[in-house]
This record gives sequence, C-alpha cells and structure tokens, in this order.
Amino acid sequence: MTLLKREDWYDLTRATNWTPKYVSEDELFPEEMSGARGIPMEKWETYDEPYKVTYPEYVSTQREKDAGAYSVKAALERSRFLDNADPGWISTMQAHYGAIALAEYAASTAEARMCRFSKAPGNRNMATFGMLDEVRHGQAQLYFPHSYTRRNRQWDWAHKALHTNEWGAIAARHFFDDMMMTRDAIGVSIMLTFAFETGFTNMQFLGLAADAAEVGDHTFASLISSIQTDESRHAQQGGPALKILIENGKKKDAQQMVDVAFWRAWKLFSVLTGPIMDYYTPLEGRKLSFKEFMLEWIVAQFERQILDLGLDRPWYWDEFMRALDETHHGMHLGVWYWRPTVWWNPSAGVTPEERDWLEEKYPGWNDTWGQCWDVIIDNLKNGKPELTGPETLPVVCNMSNIPIVGTPGNGWNVKDYQLEHEGRLYHFGSEPDRWCFQVDPERYKGHLNFIDRFLAGHVQPPDLMGGLKYMGLAPGEMGDDAHNYEWMSKYAKAAS
Amino acid sequence: MALFPIMSNFERDFVVQLVPVDTEDTMDQVAEKCAYHSLNRRVRPVEGKVLRVRRHEDGTLFPRDMTLGAAIESAGVRPTETLDIIFSDV
Repeated sequence: MTLLKREDWYDLTRATNWTPKYVSEDELFPEEMSGARGIPMEKWETYDEPYKVTYPEYVSTQREKDAGAYSVKAALERSRFLDNADPGWISTMQAHYGAIALAEYAASTAEARMCRFSKAPGNRNMATFGMLDEVRHGQAQLYFPHSYTRRNRQWDWAHKALHTNEWGAIAARHFFDDMMMTRDAIGVSIMLTFAFETGFTNMQFLGLAADAAEVGDHTFASLISSIQTDESRHAQQGGPALKILIENGKKKDAQQMVDVAFWRAWKLFSVLTGPIMDYYTPLEGRKLSFKEFMLEWIVAQFERQILDLGLDRPWYWDEFMRALDETHHGMHLGVWYWRPTVWWNPSAGVTPEERDWLEEKYPGWNDTWGQCWDVIIDNLKNGKPELTGPETLPVVCNMSNIPIVGTPGNGWNVKDYQLEHEGRLYHFGSEPDRWCFQVDPERYKGHLNFIDRFLAGHVQPPDLMGGLKYMGLAPGEMGDDAHNYEWMSKYAKAAS
Repeated sequence: MALFPIMSNFERDFVVQLVPVDTEDTMDQVAEKCAYHSLNRRVRPVEGKVLRVRRHEDGTLFPRDMTLGAAIESAGVRPTETLDIIFSDV
C-alpha cells in the first residue's frame, strides 16, 4: 500500500473544523476562553503555523529525545561531577529548577487552553504537541534534580519552591499566572509563546545549555538542549495569531499583550538569569556578559520579529535598553544580602578579578555597585558579618514582586514609582511596571505582595525568623554564601 | 504615638526598604532609624554631612525637628509612602 506524502494530507487533517449542531459557536468557543476578539471563524482558519509536525513524527522524535537525555543522565550518574562542581554552578541549577520545573508543568494547562479553545485549528493542533511537551519538561526537570536530594534539602526545592510563599516563588507564580493561567487562548499564544518563549526562554535555554557544557555538566546540558528543541517548535504559535489580529484591525490589543508580557518576562530574567550569568558562573566559564547575551540573542531577534510582523517596538524600549546595565546588578546584590530568603546559595562573584571583569563589561561598576560591595567586604574583613545580612525587608514591586532597585553609590538614582488606586498605595520598580498595572488594574489590584502580607499580619512573628517560616525556609534550605566566604581570602591577602 | 511603616530610599544605597517608625519621631529620628538599615551596611558615612528626610514624590524637605505626625497632618504623608533619606550640608 502506498502511503500519501505528508504534504498531501497535512493541511486537510489539521484544519478540520466543523459546524456545531447541538450548541452555538459561542458556547463551543466562549469568548473568555477563546479570545477571538470578534474575528470570525474563517479568518482564524487561515492560521498557518510555520513549523509543521504530525503526531507519528512527534512521538517518534520525542522518544528519541527522551532516550538521549535519560541515557546521558544514566551514563554520567557515577561521574561525581557534582562533587567537584563549582558551588556557583550548583546554585545556578537549584535556582533554575525551583523557578522553572513546576511552571513548565503548569504550562501544559495553558497549552491545553489553546488546544481546546483556540478558534484557529492550526493553533489547536500545535498546542496538542505543546501540551505534551510541557508535561515532559515538568517531569524531566523534577526527575533530574530528585536524584540529588540526598545531597541536601535545597535540591528538594525543585518541587517545593512554587508551592511556597518564598518571595521569588511568589514573583514567578504571579508572572506565570498572569501570562499563561489566566488568559484566553489567543492571549496565551501571544503572551506565553511569543513574548516569553520566543522572546526569552528559547534563547535562554540555548545559552544555559552552552554554559552547562562549558563547565562540564553534560547531564544538565543534554536535558536543557532536549527541552530547547521543543521550545523552538511550540514557541511559534504566537506569530500566526499576531498576524491574524493585525490583519483584522486588532493591532492595539496585540501590541499591548506583547508589551506587557515582554516587560514582565524581562523583570523575571533580571533576577534569575542576570545574577547567574554575571556572578554565579565561574569566571573562566563566562562567554558573554548578561548584557551582551541579551543584546545578541534576545534584543536583536525579538526586535526583528516584532518589526517583521508589523508591530512596533514597545513604548518603553529606551528604558529597557538602559535597564540592561542596571537592574540585574541590583537583583544580585539584593539576593546575596537577603540570602537566607532564597533556596539556593548565592555566589557573591566579587573577587578582585571578577570585579575587573564587571568593570570591563559594565564601565562604572566599581563606582556604583562596587561601593556597596566595598562596605560589605570591609564588614566581613573586620569581623562584622552581622552587618552583611538583613534586619528588615526590601520593598518589592506590586507588579514584578521583586525588589525595587536602582543604581547606588556615585550614580544613585533609586526611584519608587508610586500609585494610589482606590485608596491603596502601590509601589512599582519602574514606569513600565506601573503601566502594566494601569492598563488593567482590575486584574492586579487585589494581589498582596510579600510586603503587603507582612503589613497585613500574615507573617508571625513579624521578624526575619517569622518571615523565613512564612516562606517555608528551614535550616538547611535557606541560602548562605555559595563559597562559604572563601573568596574573602583574596581581600585579606591584599590587605596584609 | 503609633507605629507607622515608611519606605526608606537611602541616598547611595541600591534598594528601597521597609522601616517601621513612630508618629512621634522627629525627622532626625526617622533618618536615624532608616540609616540603621543602610549606613555601614552598604553605604559609607559622608563626613561633615547630616541626614535629612525628603518626600520622594515632590522633593519637599521636612524640617529636622518636625515630627512625622505633623508631616502626616500637614503634608498628608501616607502609610508605606517612600521617603528619601539624603546627605545634606545642613
């Protein structure tokens, strides 16, 4: 029997639509779930995904990918890589798994929303595979770190983090709930797959896999590469949806969804990926600075894509470019200073050699961020470690849920973008964060960030220990300096 | 006399912080309570300067001996409002 070639039947089968007989079209595709925005069904039927795959092809490829990643893991089980790995790299993995693994699993629900409710048949077809992808990513990124849980309890946070009220977990949950759990199908395709995945994670996973290979962690590199190949496929669902919106007079809606999601994704990356690339990765393993990586892999590609589609650069583009020099340094200093409040051990990354590198990549670093670190280093040198840890809370943004930071020292410019709305005073880390709130206050106004919860009496006793308890951080889980302050020996030598 | 949370934006520091103060505190006392969480932790003292309290949004400089309660009454300072703590010659 001769089989038809794929191209002879693919379009017909994936575009199968039907005229509902027992329910109305609106009942079959409720607007709040579908998000068709008044664009008729026949327009959605023109949705044309750039990456085409059939179910048999998908299953066959995924089987090979899983076999590859799991066999590398099994083969390297006894390599004792982790025994000799730099503590900064271990922190990188722990931060990554905790923030990402369960969110990937949740993303399968977001894909399922497109799979069931999108009016575009091609979107429904692609989302079926996307849904299965995200289940695989969730499972793999829980299974891999699980084998390390015997080493210490921080590894358990791969599963635990997003179930807690740890501040970073609140930030990640707020972001993912906004982008993918509480949007209609078309909103998910644009905010999750286009702005977040095409804009950020696809490239981030490429970079992370390269870093992993560079430090010799081939298990993590193969896992991340395996995931990235799925991302590069299912991230393409948003582009065709944007095209349909723009062609049918909905450019303003489309632009707003892209602008909100891109800014929110950037802020999450500034606290998660920025410190990892510029401070945690051992100096000899660093290829690009975070800023260079963003400019080369995120900014250039995203800019080209949005312009090609007929969208504009987000209105805050200049502020975004400026923030590439600033925000992640503040996030890193904040995470290190409040280190008991995270589930990994932050690497300080400020030896004299590392500071030279930072100064080269970010001219003026020593005159700004370096001035704060100088005081910290003096305190450690002079036997006053108690001054290098917190006795109060940083104010966190009511949009990003991460600290409100700016440049310190000689470039001091810290600003809180306040907004009074219905009698409540909100605080934002930037003008775009405040703008995200203002475009849809009903969506965001009820949320309590960590500071709001503290002031509302949710944290008892109302002190650091009460805060750690509220965040679910027990001894053995809360962070401390990744290298146990050994890096300070370089300063002690310099002084003697 | 009542506990009153403010957000401290301390000059030369990198982050805004929650600081509980009291409505009967003078602005010098407010500055001192904010300094506890920034000065000598991430910010070096500046010789010859005093710390002053300034409203973040409009830059109003509060008199050093003014109580926070008076600022709440006259300027409408709100709970959790951000105040700048700045180094000043006088």
